[in-house]
Amino acid sequence: MYEAVYAHPDGESTASRVASAARRYDYDGIVVRGVDATPDYDRLRDELDVDIVEGVEIVAPDPEHASGAVGNYRPQRELVLIRGGTNGLNRFAVEQPRVDVLTQPMADDGNFNHVLAKAARDNGVRVEFDLAPVLRSDGGTRVRALSKLRKLRELVEYYDAPYVVSARPGSHLQLRAPRELAGLGEVIGFDREQILDGLREWGRLAERNRELMSESFIAPGVERGRYEEDT
Amino acid sequence: MKHLPKHLRPRWRYLAVEVETWPDASLNRGTFQRELWYAAQNLFGDAGSADADLTVLGFDSDDCVAETIVRARRGHVDEARAALACIDDIGGDPVGVRVRGVSGTVRACSERYLHGRAGFSEQRDVVFENESRTATVRDSLLDVSGPDGFTGATQLDLE
Repeated sequence: MYEAVYAHPDGESTASRVASAARRYDYDGIVVRGVDATPDYDRLRDELDVDIVEGVEIVAPDPEHASGAVGNYRPQRELVLIRGGTNGLNRFAVEQPRVDVLTQPMADDGNFNHVLAKAARDNGVRVEFDLAPVLRSDGGTRVRALSKLRKLRELVEYYDAPYVVSARPGSHLQLRAPRELAGLGEVIGFDREQILDGLREWGRLAERNRELMSESFIAPGVERGRYEEDT
Repeated sequence: MKHLPKHLRPRWRYLAVEVETWPDASLNRGTFQRELWYAAQNLFGDAGSADADLTVLGFDSDDCVAETIVRARRGHVDEARAALACIDDIGGDPVGVRVRGVSGTVRACSERYLHGRAGFSEQRDVVFENESRTATVRDSLLDVSGPDGFTGATQLDLE
């Protein structure tokens, strides 16, 4: 299972600190949502026994800016995430097969509907269930976040759109273990398995993209493999 | 009052919980219990939180890591995990909460999951991102103090 985290300077802890905490919390790896953070991935992977996925979370004011960023980052990073939060950005993200994940679609003024859910399914864009406001806010803010989360869940379930789950930790202290998140998920109407599957999805995505980026991949259906040599 | 016969007493589960925080925070049993009750009440309401009946038994605080045992009614362990996950800060200090394991008796819980001291910490001057800073060092983990609060790091970030 994987968790997608913010690392210093986007968050309060460096990638290596979050990664070592994630190991203890029973995660197989972390996805770094690099907004400004650029840790030395190769070195961290060598030194730590937990996988670290090089991701980028694109924070753009509007679809035009986001579009340029997607083109820039797609060849460089293993995972490309777009932060939603407005209807325009949500719609842009789910209509781009080049985008892997639409994060926090229900934040701020963002909303979701059947059109976006269908587009997300058809383009294979994962929609993020953001548990951060459930974990770290209270009162009216939390109630609104919960009701939006419920709406998103119902749409995603009905249209069978792909999804990921994250607590969106900004430091090693905000990390929560998969079993705790599953327990919380059950309380707020999710299936236990649904939450765990959403955490596994990060890993599956990373694996798929690494295969696509590897040198042996040439085009869909065309790969360089190992063949018997002529004698 | 005379205590209940054994078959009528409630059955409990004991969760070994680790609470981590920044070095400048002070944790104690009372504040942790209050946050736990708030978390449970906000999540399940009065009825649900009375059902789960979450009580903090022991609290062993040691610099940035505290070890504690939380008692929950049997069959409500998942709710207890959910409430614990929602504890974001204790008295204004941000905390990380992790359930190490669950047992049927206090003794098994503390023997299997709690190890006493979590490791000694010391103050050291380090160079972090080309600046000289003070850090609290625990094993290979560092909490580097800066102008706007602490930054979590490890030895790997220093070289």
